[in-house]
Amino acid sequence: MNSRERFLAVLAGETPDMVPVVPVLDGYFAPKLIGRRNDDCWADGNCLAEALAAAQRQFDHDGVVAEMGLGPDPDVLGCRVEIEGNQVPLVVETLVEDAGDLAKIPIPDPWRDGKMEPVRRLAEQVGREAAILGSVRSPFEYAATVRGLAGFFADFYRDPEFAHQLIAACLPATLAVGKALVRAGADAIVIKDSFASTSMISPAHYREFAYPAEAEAIAALKETAPVILHICRNSLPILPEMARTGAAALEIDSPVDLEQARQAVDGKVVLKGNIDAVAVMEKGSPADVERAVKVAMAAAKAGGRFILSTGDSIPAGAPLENVAALVEFGRAYGKY
Amino acid sequence: MEGDADQAARLGGEITAADLSADSILSTLSAAMEEVGARYETGEYFIPEMLRSAAAVEAALQVLDPFLFERRADQAGVVVIGTVRGDVHNIGKNIIVSALRAGGYKVYDLGVNVSAAKFAAKVGEVDADLLLLSAFTTSTKQSLLDVISALEAAGLRDRVKVVSGGAAHSPELAREVGVDAFAGDVKSTLAVCRELMGGS
Ligand code: B12
Repeated sequence: MNSRERFLAVLAGETPDMVPVVPVLDGYFAPKLIGRRNDDCWADGNCLAEALAAAQRQFDHDGVVAEMGLGPDPDVLGCRVEIEGNQVPLVVETLVEDAGDLAKIPIPDPWRDGKMEPVRRLAEQVGREAAILGSVRSPFEYAATVRGLAGFFADFYRDPEFAHQLIAACLPATLAVGKALVRAGADAIVIKDSFASTSMISPAHYREFAYPAEAEAIAALKETAPVILHICRNSLPILPEMARTGAAALEIDSPVDLEQARQAVDGKVVLKGNIDAVAVMEKGSPADVERAVKVAMAAAKAGGRFILSTGDSIPAGAPLENVAALVEFGRAYGKY
Repeated sequence: MEGDADQAARLGGEITAADLSADSILSTLSAAMEEVGARYETGEYFIPEMLRSAAAVEAALQVLDPFLFERRADQAGVVVIGTVRGDVHNIGKNIIVSALRAGGYKVYDLGVNVSAAKFAAKVGEVDADLLLLSAFTTSTKQSLLDVISALEAAGLRDRVKVVSGGAAHSPELAREVGVDAFAGDVKSTLAVCRELMGGS
């Protein structure tokens, strides 16, 4: 089994030869491998594609996370972003204030915008051996982005109907980008819904606003490729709903105990997680990584429905040895 | 503490009509913000509820502003606040801003990803008593050090007390970078600021 086969086997519900190792190694960490700054690579898809390919060659992990467009993703919806010095694209101008602005939300054409060519090239370079995971924002997260997070959260109380309309207006963007990623060579789609975490909003708000849009997006996208749902930080109270979205796998972050997560989803869906990206990967040593990998394997390996991963993006400051250790110990403790 | 901004504004209007003292109004609002912070810490409130309460307090303050400043000889203090360079987290900072305003401080909020030079310039310009630095990722330690250096270079370090806070920030980190104090939530931030202003 090669890396790509191993990863796809798990998503298809089969037991692979060993647990696939697919960390969230993305635009925060990869640029330094080719001596570039994050700011440069966020602005330039080719830079990030090159960095991600270099990372895969160096660490030999089983899947590469091709972030949406390999560029500053909020700008696909026409939000002005600033990048310099931010590590991440910072949205400096939001698009939507009220219902009258909903028509301003465009349906992006990522091929025309030049965002897919780097993904295609990345898939060409590493996609035969390793899996390509294309990542896109959920309608809920796009809504928060075009509206501004504070305004969006205020809408939950002030005008819930508008919040629903706004989320619905962002669904076509998620679908357009997701489908484009698959056409560019992605084997699976990661839907990012970070603001839907119960570290941010209540389980009741998750059910009211985030869940329906997740389910709708996943129903439409899983026709093209298996979908992984990413909600970082705490998600334990909402895991049963997340499992019902139709996602093939759920990305579980370090605050959630993997054993409990397995029980919460009743073994029905693949779990991907959950090594602490900061405490272990950034601040820890290879020995800490080994300990964390052992704990994760003990909790979630049995039965085959597990992908070893970091809980969230590996920070820029994480030592290279720790990433190497994640793959090494993932292999050592992951055999079936 | 229903957190409805319009209602708070109405309430503000009533309070001014009722001629309550500026201090008693502020202490009510400030206590409300502390309560909101406490409910967040215990998991009763999530971020939308917190932001909503902060918006309500801000709305009340806006209505009250002219009255407060007429009646109140001194502000609690002049504060410059912002999230340091390389960091874009702003939710926690915004909550602190509202709490400080409710606490009677004049607050200049510089936003996120603020450079050391910008912090120092603003402190000088408004003759700030307190500089509050938000830092949420530990990788921004250098940015905190840069702010301290910029204050020193501008000859301002002795004239302003520096407080840092934010997720992933610790008293140890605060000591290492040489700020005067650290605070972890709404309540302790207000307490620390009071203390540094020489109050009790
Ligand atoms: C929301 C969030 C984001 C949002 C930010 C949206 C926004 N507009 O702010 C987004 C998605 C953009 C984001 C991005 C990133 N994030 Co983030 N994020 C969070 C999250 C989930 C919640 C933060 C929050 O708003 N909490 C609610 C507020 C009310 O709480 P608070 O921030 O703690 O504020 C309170 C106190 O700290 C204090 N306080 C706050 N500011 C100040 C200032 C002063 C002066 C004082 C005295 C007190 C004070 O009072 C507040 C009220 O009680 C936290 C995890 C968590 N649960 O804390 C991670 C977290 C802060 N992020 C983290 C990281 C690493 C990142 C990223 C690097 C991506 C990644 N790999 O995960 C990027 C960095 C981007 C950048 N360059 O800044 C880490 C930082 C860890 C570390 N040790 O470095 C955290 C802790 C999560 C984790 N992985 O452990 N993030």
